[in-house]
Amino acid sequence: MTTRISSQRYAVEDFHEALELCYSKGWTDGLPVVPPTEPAVRAMLEAVGLGPDVQVAFITNRQVAISAEKVAINAVMAGCRPEHMPVVLAAVEGISDPRWGYHGPATSTGGAGVLMIVNGPIARRLDFNCGDNLFGPGWRSNATVGRAVRLVMRNVIGTIPGRLDRGTVGHPGKYTYVIAENEAESPWTPLHAERGCRPEDSAVTVMAALGPHQFYNQLSGTAAGVLGTMCDTMRNPGMVGQPNYCVVLAGEHMRTIAADGWSKSDIRKYIFENTTSTIAHLKRTARVPGAIKAEDETATRPLVLTPDDILVVAAGGRAGSFSCYIPGWASRTTSQAVTTVIKERRP
Amino acid sequence: MAGFEILDPTVEPRRQPLTYVPRPDSLKGKRIGLVENTKYNSDKLLVRIGDILKQEYGAAETRMWRKHNSGVPAHAEIIEEAKRTVDVVVAGIGD
Repeated sequence: MTTRISSQRYAVEDFHEALELCYSKGWTDGLPVVPPTEPAVRAMLEAVGLGPDVQVAFITNRQVAISAEKVAINAVMAGCRPEHMPVVLAAVEGISDPRWGYHGPATSTGGAGVLMIVNGPIARRLDFNCGDNLFGPGWRSNATVGRAVRLVMRNVIGTIPGRLDRGTVGHPGKYTYVIAENEAESPWTPLHAERGCRPEDSAVTVMAALGPHQFYNQLSGTAAGVLGTMCDTMRNPGMVGQPNYCVVLAGEHMRTIAADGWSKSDIRKYIFENTTSTIAHLKRTARVPGAIKAEDETATRPLVLTPDDILVVAAGGRAGSFSCYIPGWASRTTSQAVTTVIKERRP
Repeated sequence: MAGFEILDPTVEPRRQPLTYVPRPDSLKGKRIGLVENTKYNSDKLLVRIGDILKQEYGAAETRMWRKHNSGVPAHAEIIEEAKRTVDVVVAGIGD
């Protein structure tokens, strides 16, 4: 393991020149970046115990090896602190997993972002927001970790909007799209534990995701009532045949559903059963090709292939009768959500 | 602030040699492989192209393979079978 930083160096006079250089080189997401100096990059690497040249992931179809050094540089630029580095690395490993299928979601006109759900002790220790204004601004960890992953996609993997990122409309989550689960108040099994990790692990789940769709139910005091409203809006997909949906249940809805004794498994089953569409409807609304046959009026298609393809997360503000669902991108054969354990220290 | 250095966050992809075989002078009698990428109508489009290549250019036959999905290259079995059984391959995005 070498300790030499091999990236090309650029001499600048001051912060302003460094910032403008980063812009002129096309290294930013449009927002100002922190100039990546060697001491700052070394602090990132030391936080995880990795040498600069260690390959942390490989993107086959781009033939790009992602080194710890390049992740560290982009994490500095995004505004991360060294303690964020393990989360950024785990997310980069996740999007490099063949099950996530990097090329599709990163490149597609479908315009997916990388939804990252952080679970476990690290989420609380680094103050990842799991409450008010869940997807909004104001929390450094949420803002910078997602941004770091996007800068790695841009600067290391070459996923540049208008070139290899051909999202037709995209969405704001492509700047950053990070939430934590509210494990402290959730009555349910945390997402990462449902997906094979130990509850005491920290983990990040990456899902190729469209934007969050908010729904409102202030009237119902039952689990079925709340989820019935959501399913009614959710069953009309923007695309057809998504691999995953993520359902984010905020404080009031979470408490209402839990008060009926429903587990996450019950929630998934209800959503799965109540979001089917008839083939006739999908054809009528030009989501599925072909002429409508008589049997299409009764034949149904589920939103996802199995209830387990629905990720249920407890997060969002304590007040307000709002929750949301997030459609995944494309199909199960092209991209699946991946959960990766966050290793605080590498060998 | 005194002058300082910043580090380049980018990498160059590994370069892979890529060479094309010579294009055939004619498609007459050639066996045509069609690689379908799973998107709506891509199979129909390729069948139509195959028909045109047979009817108007004298190609001998066509056969079609289906990729695992549109986001990945044609898998190894397709490549190996295509090498053995066809002379020309038509592939592209159907969307």
